[in-house]
Amino acid sequence: MAETRKGFLIDTTRCIGCRSCQVACKQWNKLEADKTANQGSFENPRDLTPNLYNRIRFVEQADSNSVKWLFLNERCMHCGDAGCMKVCPSPGALYRTKEGIVAFNREKCISCKYCVSACPFNIPRYGADDKVSKCNLCGDRVAGGMPPACAKACPTQSIQFGNRSELVARAKAAKKSIYGESDLMGLGVVYALEGKPEQYGLPAKPSIPVSIFLWKDVIKPLGILGFWGSVGAMLLHYVTIGPKKLEDETNNKEGSHE
Amino acid sequence: MSNYIERFSARERVLHWIVTGSFFTLLLSGLGLYSRLFNGYFTLFGGGRNAIVVHKIAGVVFFLSSLYMYLSHRKEVAAFDADDRSWIEQRGGYLSRKATHFNIGKYNPGQKLFALFIGAATLLLGVTGIFIWSPASFPRWLVQLSLLVHGLFFVLSVMFVIVHVYLATIGNPGTIEAMLWGRVTRPWARKHHPKWYKDVAGE
Repeated sequence: MAETRKGFLIDTTRCIGCRSCQVACKQWNKLEADKTANQGSFENPRDLTPNLYNRIRFVEQADSNSVKWLFLNERCMHCGDAGCMKVCPSPGALYRTKEGIVAFNREKCISCKYCVSACPFNIPRYGADDKVSKCNLCGDRVAGGMPPACAKACPTQSIQFGNRSELVARAKAAKKSIYGESDLMGLGVVYALEGKPEQYGLPAKPSIPVSIFLWKDVIKPLGILGFWGSVGAMLLHYVTIGPKKLEDETNNKEGSHE
Repeated sequence: MSNYIERFSARERVLHWIVTGSFFTLLLSGLGLYSRLFNGYFTLFGGGRNAIVVHKIAGVVFFLSSLYMYLSHRKEVAAFDADDRSWIEQRGGYLSRKATHFNIGKYNPGQKLFALFIGAATLLLGVTGIFIWSPASFPRWLVQLSLLVHGLFFVLSVMFVIVHVYLATIGNPGTIEAMLWGRVTRPWARKHHPKWYKDVAGE
């Protein structure tokens, strides 16, 4: 996968918060508009929705006499080790393309919503049709050799799309502080940040939630072992020690004349 | 004098089989959700979406019936006397062929522990099931923890049920009849539950 893996390098230092990426994404993916409300910030909408695959998170940093913004393009990270794919019980509902994209097929989604709980970044949303919804990295455009709509629309080249390894090498050469190079076997979305990940609302060390790991990697295999262990133990008991038959008693003091 | 005495009333038997039926419905509809390895079990219900619907309905039936069964026996299954303790010390005589005699009441300590476990498991599986049912309505950490607990108690329940089925059928011939048509033979009662037999038969 490494040679063919596509990805984003999102350089937050270049982002001007214009939200062209949000609009272009909605247009290409034919996503309905969401009604929003003014909540005292330029950030709009305030969260991802089933009709909003990416958005700019506005982080206001106030010091004594000025306010500074940090902009973060928030979306599915297309993790190398994807929690959503780990828990999805419906084969083919969430799948990886040859470009390394974590894509989804709504026809196969069974609405269990396990992916919502397993995502390290809280990205998947469920809409009115009760099916999974998230950035699909414009898989149709990428398959046709075109950049995703958001990258195409970005006027400052904050969102760059291409071979992941080349983008990471370029960011490293430019001495950028990068996020997501190796976490979760490498994120498909690598950021160049201006500060600590936490300042952007990103987890410093993203990982699949511990309870999800214990469920899928510990309890699941041990459970299967436990099932066969119990069946085996009962069979072993039957052939070694055997059942408690009533006839055992009749030779003793207890008569059976009733 | 009849050779049979009543062990479970018709009401108790019907309730037990409602719990059993919903348990196995939950097991079959949940297997595909437990792991992709068991995806084939979804076809029993016409696909994963339907299996989830069946799982939710059976979950409500199991939760209510199993909890009711536990609550209506909670006093009997929570009390352990000195005879029960000697049964536990010798593992009910199940680990050797030597004939053993315990002065056991209507339920032996193994049955009591099984009832206590299933009561607790019903509560935990039911409550975590509600959180998993509608993950958007609850904090993420709570739903994540619920998925873990639900999986764990599913596995433990299945393991306990395997032992339960073995001991109630081929492990102790004559036992299943108590749950099928309610009656057991006097020798069976004298052997397995002598204290209870004395109470009901007055011998």
